[in-house]
Amino acid sequence: MTSDDLRVLAGQALEEIAGARDRSRLDELRLRYLARHGGLITAAASELTKSIGTDRAALGRAFNAAKTAVADALAKRQTELDSELRMREVAAEQMDVSHPIWPLERGHQHPVQRTLREIEDVFLRLGYASVSGPEIEDDLHNFQLLNMPPEHPARDSHDTFYLAGGWKDWLYRTHTSPMQMRTMLAGEPPFRIIVPGKVARRDNPDPTHNPVFHQVEGLLVDQGVTVADLKGTLEHVIQALFGKDRGVRLRASFFPYTEPSIEADVACGICLGKGCRSCMGKGWIEILGSGMVHPTVLANAAIDPERYSGFAFGMGPDRIAALRYGIADVRDLYDNDLRLLECF
Amino acid sequence: MRVSHEWLGSMVDLDGVSPKEVERRLTLTGTEVERTFEFAHGLEPIVMGEVVDLHPLRDSDHLNLALVRDGASEPEEVVCGAPNLFLGALVPWARPGTRLPGGMKIGRRRIRGTESAGMLCALDELGLGADHEGVLTLAPGEAVAGQPLSELFPGDTIYELEILSNRADCLCHLGVARELAAALGRTLTEPDTAAVERVGEPLAASVSVAIEADDLCSFYLAEGFSEIPAGPAPLYVRRRLMAVGQRSLGAVVDLANYVMLEVGQPLHTFDLDRVRGGDGLTRVAVRRARGGERILALDGQDRPLDSGSLVIAVNGRPAAIAGLIGSLESAVHTDTRNLLLEAASFQWTSIRSTSRRAGLRTEASARFERFLSPNLAPPGAARFARLLHDTMGVSPRPSPVTAGALPGKAAPIRTSATAISRLLGVDVSSEAAARALRLLDFKVDGANDEISATPPAARTDVTAPVDVTEEVGRILGYDSLPATLPPLRRPQEQPRVATFARPVADLMMGAGFTECVTLSLMDPTAPAPVAGLGDGRPPLLIGNPLSASLGGLRYSVLPGLLAACRLNQSRGRERIRLFERGTVFWAGAEGQRPEEPDLLAMVDHRVESDSTESGNRLRRLIAICQGLEGALATKHLRFTAAKRPGLHPGRTAEISCGGVVIGVVGELDSGSVRDLELRGRVVVAELRLDGWLQFAGRRPVAPRLARTPALALDLAVAVPSTAALGPALERIADQGPPELESVAVLDEYLGPGLPSGMKGWTFRLTLRDPSRTLTSREGEKLRDQVLQVLHTAAEAVVR
Repeated sequence: MTSDDLRVLAGQALEEIAGARDRSRLDELRLRYLARHGGLITAAASELTKSIGTDRAALGRAFNAAKTAVADALAKRQTELDSELRMREVAAEQMDVSHPIWPLERGHQHPVQRTLREIEDVFLRLGYASVSGPEIEDDLHNFQLLNMPPEHPARDSHDTFYLAGGWKDWLYRTHTSPMQMRTMLAGEPPFRIIVPGKVARRDNPDPTHNPVFHQVEGLLVDQGVTVADLKGTLEHVIQALFGKDRGVRLRASFFPYTEPSIEADVACGICLGKGCRSCMGKGWIEILGSGMVHPTVLANAAIDPERYSGFAFGMGPDRIAALRYGIADVRDLYDNDLRLLECF
Repeated sequence: MRVSHEWLGSMVDLDGVSPKEVERRLTLTGTEVERTFEFAHGLEPIVMGEVVDLHPLRDSDHLNLALVRDGASEPEEVVCGAPNLFLGALVPWARPGTRLPGGMKIGRRRIRGTESAGMLCALDELGLGADHEGVLTLAPGEAVAGQPLSELFPGDTIYELEILSNRADCLCHLGVARELAAALGRTLTEPDTAAVERVGEPLAASVSVAIEADDLCSFYLAEGFSEIPAGPAPLYVRRRLMAVGQRSLGAVVDLANYVMLEVGQPLHTFDLDRVRGGDGLTRVAVRRARGGERILALDGQDRPLDSGSLVIAVNGRPAAIAGLIGSLESAVHTDTRNLLLEAASFQWTSIRSTSRRAGLRTEASARFERFLSPNLAPPGAARFARLLHDTMGVSPRPSPVTAGALPGKAAPIRTSATAISRLLGVDVSSEAAARALRLLDFKVDGANDEISATPPAARTDVTAPVDVTEEVGRILGYDSLPATLPPLRRPQEQPRVATFARPVADLMMGAGFTECVTLSLMDPTAPAPVAGLGDGRPPLLIGNPLSASLGGLRYSVLPGLLAACRLNQSRGRERIRLFERGTVFWAGAEGQRPEEPDLLAMVDHRVESDSTESGNRLRRLIAICQGLEGALATKHLRFTAAKRPGLHPGRTAEISCGGVVIGVVGELDSGSVRDLELRGRVVVAELRLDGWLQFAGRRPVAPRLARTPALALDLAVAVPSTAALGPALERIADQGPPELESVAVLDEYLGPGLPSGMKGWTFRLTLRDPSRTLTSREGEKLRDQVLQVLHTAAEAVVR
């Protein structure tokens, strides 16, 4: 065999490799040309050992070149075939990934509960505990200990549901404040608690009222607590809930269980306090009532008002949820229409 | 309550103070302005016309033809239906081409063949009131023909105020003006109450007053006035009344109302000639009503009086319910000549409960019931006398008749600048505190740090040092305070049970259930086909329900959730999964505090369903309950077949924990589904969390992780079809070999290939010995041990 023969043989092999259409044909060609025993090119190597003279070196080079060319062609063709195969597979498995068809069936959180959690989180970070109390209360804890004796004018805004028959001395709490009293009566200051929960007032349902709604009451009693501390706390809490850009305004008010009493407003989210249609020109939206715990209330809980002072506040998560999520009618909060709930 | 900017301006200088500023100052200091609106605006085009001729219009039974002149041009004919028109009256005349404040344009119209030159206007047409009964008529001398109406009714701004319930003193212009003066730092000019010279027969000669119920009335003052002339109250009085929404009802009543709205003391007026006895004497007694007494009140209602009500009896007959309303027969009229004026102080709780029982709230009772200062009575009477004298020339009769006593001079409240600063959280000097208090009309004394403050007589809400602190704080303004935080403390410990609220809700939402909140009130009479844990419990009833549908307390969360299902079904939903955690109310012994269990309820409703599909959903619901057990790391739950009203007898389990039933899970019986107007199939569960949660939060203990390989072997058995898997697995866990690491249930098989009355269970057992590799022979031996346990527990045989 001459170098030329080898070149021809290699050329023929390359042609056949290029024409191979699948992996088994390639395997066949590998055996045919490069098999250790009987491969057409391998066979040339054995002839090499028989040849003599100057031809031998040239023939050796030609053999190596032919063998490398064929092996490279085999490898290259194999890669090509693999990628063609992968492309066919990929084309067959092509999916529309723009939509899952079966969305995740997750449940949704009720907007009031979501708001309650957020309020709770703010206070837990401030070191308050979240406690709950009974929803059925007696006059003593719901009113009297909170400085609201019978016939007190402040009871006007607490139109109360009383139980019937043998239970007529029991009422549905009109605020979660009675738990303030229960907490103070059961322990020793300092206190830092919030009391989230359901309350009821005898208000006919309308877009801003439900007979049953939620309240978060807060109480902090310690030595040297000031109105300035109340102001700082309320500013932090309101801005944590509504955003740092929203102004907070405190104005004088009256609650029988606090003195001084203060209501807190947040700047309207639309006009930021300037006054617009959404806030009916007021610029401010009422958010919570608060004040320094009345010395009489502290004394009712056997806490010395000379040694301790504190503040209390109450806010309505229903109303806060309505404001934050643009719910125009708070009655919707208790219908549990999934079209609303699934937004959360 | 409404107050007029113009009226306030008569007591405090409002020069350069815009309504916006008034609004802001009042609101920040505690007198919230709910709404501000304009009064008597756009009246410029309307002129006063004088009626110079008046006769009925032909062909009409109620229309008149008035000849009206404006003093400049020829009189013109105006058709008018007002019954109160009289010859010589001065009336607002909207001539053709003018526009009324409401926007209506007046033209020249033909009415019954007569052309009318515009119209004569009623109060409502001018935006001055709600009255449409007649035109606004002024007496000759009050206006001149041709005068623009806007000269008589200059524009005003009205503030609708929300007065705090402890501030009875602010239920009048003087009280609000006092607040405003303090907020603006300006001086207050109180209305003139200087004594008027008295003339005529002494009142005491024929009038006596006795307080028989001194617990309900501390002070009563009666003034007499004679020879009241006919005619209306002066225009400015009527205008101010109109501005704040009051109707004009004749001079005496108008002046009494005016004084109430101005200085806050409700006054009552009796026609002395109508109440005087046959002997010429008038004996006034303030006493409790007697059995069977009634009163025909001014509002036309005949009211029975109960012994809890305080009445003003004159010569033995009730002439008024004290502080609430007078009788029709004793009331003053336009022709009243002799007047008996009452200025009294009634006990506030009594007025409040009488008003509530009578279902009537009047301007007077709204003031008395808020602890009005008794000290307002004498100046109230004096102000009335002053006004009646100055405007109508009437003097009071010598010596008022009084009974009871006014409270003694209030003792000053002692506090200090230090105490005020300590509570407010900012340094307030005694001078600054005194300045703020004096702006509010307090008398302030004291040296150095001491402050001794006496509130104005009208204030009944300031009684303790902390009240004084509030006065200083609100006048200094809370916006001037620094915003600090209370000192850092060790955080208050959270009740342990409360920390598990979130994992419960999160697991439910993760499982695809949406959280609901339903009302705690329910219709106690509506049938509840399924009431979960509340089954068989009578609902606690509300004594004063808003409506029958909210007449009871809920005893289960499920009825509310099922109602939410129905709502969503009606809105086209076909797959509804809801949960709610909430309190329900269970009655115990009568009169005792009801129990308030904390329940978690869940419903899974699907409109397109069949037995297999709903069965799978029931399995899933049970799995969720078990998942809760795991997520909360709490006590083991056991599910036992049970029968419950409204639930499928073959698909219901009671859930128990440590032998106590704490829940129920099952599929609704087809009858319940129908009764609830639902379609398809519904599975439900209700679990009581309190009690169970207290065991939650077990600390996990990590196992030693063996490095030896596990051996997995399947075990297929046949058991009687009534066999229960739950107890069988418990037995395996208890009695199986220690090498048994876990048991997975691969399948429950019901079908061909099994003897009748049998079903198949397939388990995959994972076996492992931590010290060495198990051989397959050893594995098979262990599997036989498991089979043995199953055989004893559930009569299992190998399949």
